[in-house]
Amino acid sequence: MTDEALARRLPSQLVGGWEVGLLALILLLYLSGAFVNPAFFGSSEALQALLRDTSRVAIIAVGMTFVIVNKDLDLSVGSTYGLVAVIFARLFAPSFLDLGILPSILLCLILGAGIGLLNGVLVTTLKVPAFIATLTVLFIGRGFVLALTHGQSIYYPAKAKEYPSFFHLGETNVLGFNNQIVIFALVAVIGAYVLAKTRWGYETFATGGNEQAAVYAGIPTNWVRIRAYLISSLCAALAGLMSAAQDKGVTPLYGVSGELTVIAAVIIGGASILGGRGRVFGSCLGAMLVILIDKVLREGWPITRIIKVGDEEVAVNAVYSLPVGAVPVFLGFLLVIAVLIEPWLIRRQIAGRLWAWLRGRPPPLAYETGGVALEGVQTKGAMATDIALSATGLGKFLARRDALAIILTAALWLTGLSLRPDYWWNLSNTFAILLNYTELALITVGLTYVIAAGDIDLSVGAVLALAGSTAAYFLKVLGADPMTAVAMGLLAGMCAGFVNAIVTVGFKLPAFIATLGMFYIARGLAAWFVAGQQLTGWPEGYNLLGRKLNDILQHYGIRLPDGPLRAFADVVSVQTIWMLLVALVAGIVLAYMPFGQKVYATGGNIRAAAYAGINTNRVRFIALMLAALCATMAGIINVAYFRSFNPVAGQFRELDAIASVIIGGGSIFGGYGTMVGALAGAAVITLVRALLQLNVQGFSMPQHWINVFIGVILIAAVLIDIWVRQANIFGRLRTRHVRGARTPETAHG
Amino acid sequence: MRGIEKAFGAVQALRNVDLVLYPGEILGLVGDNSAGKSTLMKILTGAYQRDAGEIFVAGQPVHFKSPHESRDVGIEMIYQDFALCGNMDVGQNIFLGRWPRKGPFINRRKMYAEANSVLKRLKVDVNSVHQKVESLSGGRQQSVAIARAISFGPRVVILDEPTANLSVMATERLLETMMELKKQGVAQIIISHRLIDIFAVGDRVMVLKRGENVGDRYVKYTDDHEILEIIVSGRRENALTADEARAI
Repeated sequence: MTDEALARRLPSQLVGGWEVGLLALILLLYLSGAFVNPAFFGSSEALQALLRDTSRVAIIAVGMTFVIVNKDLDLSVGSTYGLVAVIFARLFAPSFLDLGILPSILLCLILGAGIGLLNGVLVTTLKVPAFIATLTVLFIGRGFVLALTHGQSIYYPAKAKEYPSFFHLGETNVLGFNNQIVIFALVAVIGAYVLAKTRWGYETFATGGNEQAAVYAGIPTNWVRIRAYLISSLCAALAGLMSAAQDKGVTPLYGVSGELTVIAAVIIGGASILGGRGRVFGSCLGAMLVILIDKVLREGWPITRIIKVGDEEVAVNAVYSLPVGAVPVFLGFLLVIAVLIEPWLIRRQIAGRLWAWLRGRPPPLAYETGGVALEGVQTKGAMATDIALSATGLGKFLARRDALAIILTAALWLTGLSLRPDYWWNLSNTFAILLNYTELALITVGLTYVIAAGDIDLSVGAVLALAGSTAAYFLKVLGADPMTAVAMGLLAGMCAGFVNAIVTVGFKLPAFIATLGMFYIARGLAAWFVAGQQLTGWPEGYNLLGRKLNDILQHYGIRLPDGPLRAFADVVSVQTIWMLLVALVAGIVLAYMPFGQKVYATGGNIRAAAYAGINTNRVRFIALMLAALCATMAGIINVAYFRSFNPVAGQFRELDAIASVIIGGGSIFGGYGTMVGALAGAAVITLVRALLQLNVQGFSMPQHWINVFIGVILIAAVLIDIWVRQANIFGRLRTRHVRGARTPETAHG
Repeated sequence: MRGIEKAFGAVQALRNVDLVLYPGEILGLVGDNSAGKSTLMKILTGAYQRDAGEIFVAGQPVHFKSPHESRDVGIEMIYQDFALCGNMDVGQNIFLGRWPRKGPFINRRKMYAEANSVLKRLKVDVNSVHQKVESLSGGRQQSVAIARAISFGPRVVILDEPTANLSVMATERLLETMMELKKQGVAQIIISHRLIDIFAVGDRVMVLKRGENVGDRYVKYTDDHEILEIIVSGRRENALTADEARAI
């Protein structure tokens, strides 16, 4: 399919017309900005600053276009961008390694290539779903950024002066515009040429359009996909170096939610999240549009502030910030809406049909749909032998999918006991662990349903924050009574779940992209409600939701007599009981009732389930709503327990919860997962966090490294699930070994 | 089925196609690619809606709007990929979507007992009804799919390319299973490219070509050369029904 043939056949319905529309929209937005605020948008500086800031995002978007056309996703670019800037600072800054400019740049590019390779190998060779692999790399990268900067900014303006040839790249040149624009133009032209005119590009479109067919046609699709990840990461690394050149320093906030901006840009630029469609030119325009919206949303203009660092005066770009969180909310919505455009507007030719209808002509011929001759059959590696059936006793237990989680729970607890016998087996410690466990376990209960039904919910942590912040807002700002606050928190969380479910089930989009959008929207809204601050101080009646039983009894003036009952009431809090109740009901429904079987059937083979008369849409809808409900309850309880709302509540909880379900026997491909397993998985994650925080002989691990560690655990759990539980790699290796020993000649045959 | 017509856009997939199936009969439906075999079967099960023509089941005119409605009158289709959930066990798959209940709970004992009896009735050997379907071989998975189909007590079973993914041994076993079903009075339609299978178990062969009937023969009174010739060069004008061909 060449561009000319495409253009001849479908004049304005495809990307070509799309880009013209984008350009018009950008102009319109810019002109309206100029009209509203001529001081900013009227000046040529404004245009230049727009182009300069677009440059870095657009460069990453060029790389991301390759990934998305491949039907993959790279969520790690934001953290790669930040990490490269940080590593560059650590290598180059006089206060750290003090290397020369060339080795620093070289090492940064190697780092970029390494991250790309890691993503690519995880996604292709190791068959980890793209969103989960790159999301984990995102969290790991962010952890590294925080750990390596210790949350501080690093600046090196003095040394930068010695290397004008590099640092001039981030500055305005003699012709009056920023050099980054030149780099961007160069990258865009090369990227557009490669994607549209070369074999590399054609292979990319083939892989994204129908990977199975591409494999049969002899295209090395794994390499094509790894290559795209390499391009994407290298583009992010380049952008990171450009920011280093511009700012001559780095803050730990570089690139935070950069992946959102970039993915939104590529999708708005006309690429399809369903693969096989996308153009570099469109992505660049999309980047410009997103940056422009971002700027308009920030109500004005980046200001250049002069900051004194030592004897040096440094120009630092700062921005007037709107209510914290407003921008991610809008960008998140933009992402969700943009994702709907390609499958619903372009593929269904809404514009063409409308035009034909207006002229009273018959509608244009529909594209052939559902007629893909070679559709990739989803092969889930079968367990070569049904170990569980033949085994007895201990073997039977080991063959359970949740055995790993249960063993790990016991092992980790004993580890804690042996490391700090004085402290570990202590009521307050057990209590603290139990509380941490309660929040995670509650989220995990809902997520188990979603994962078993073959979907994913990346927004649980953010929904937790949204519900908590809504409840806190009603309590503190509006002075509502506890019941109203709880009801409003539930309402907010359920709205988030509803949007997730509608976009996923109603509009038939992958759950990860819908819930990724919600991840930013809900967290942004949570911060927006409380204006980025910690809210605290409201009637104690609400806080009872997060108290120990005894505290509640005392609140109502009841005194328990000393004894076992009193001891129990002292330790157990109401949320733990509530969590156990929810888990019990959810577990029984999942394991013993028809609805649970429907969930497994839907996750196992959605077509077979539908053919068997199961309303799979309803099942998935309910599962997604349930996940949001559980996260919401966790959020409401979180606020009650802390007697305050902190905008960082629930951060990294999505990572913890997904890891819990997978460790507990769930499969990232759906169809598996039990409540017992998920609860044990949550216990593993809680204990890992508790152990890592444990102060052993004066040493305790900083929080940032713990998040890195949890990310590694998640990837390991997914890999174990795919390769050991499903593909039974050990069994296969053993068989091959045995066979190889007997007849070496036929081992490969 | 009488006078079935179906068009997809400008493509006329089926033109005035007739199909008769008698109780307990095994009918082989053959024809080149794009002959309209699958389309005809999808119209029969209600997955597609016909443009014109009539369908009678036991003399009663029917209008299926979905495969679920055709299932209610006893027409079952087994898809090429079996439509099973690999993550669930044999018993759960046989009763997919209609698991027996006891109160609000699933009645496991009843489910596995009935699954066992269905498998016995089919005379297929699946080690255990507790085995996960993804750990079964292709042939056994197909047995489960057939067991699932007959557990509805159907009058007609349609098998879409049943031998396409099977080994020689598994094909043998499948053909035995089909004979067993025939003995129990279940009519079957096989869509297949492998004439050899149809000649092994079939009673009658019907040939479609470019969406038209081009011939119909009793297996007893024909051979694969004749069928191949009809597939390659058959024409609507000189098509004979099985009875006409037999009379010659």
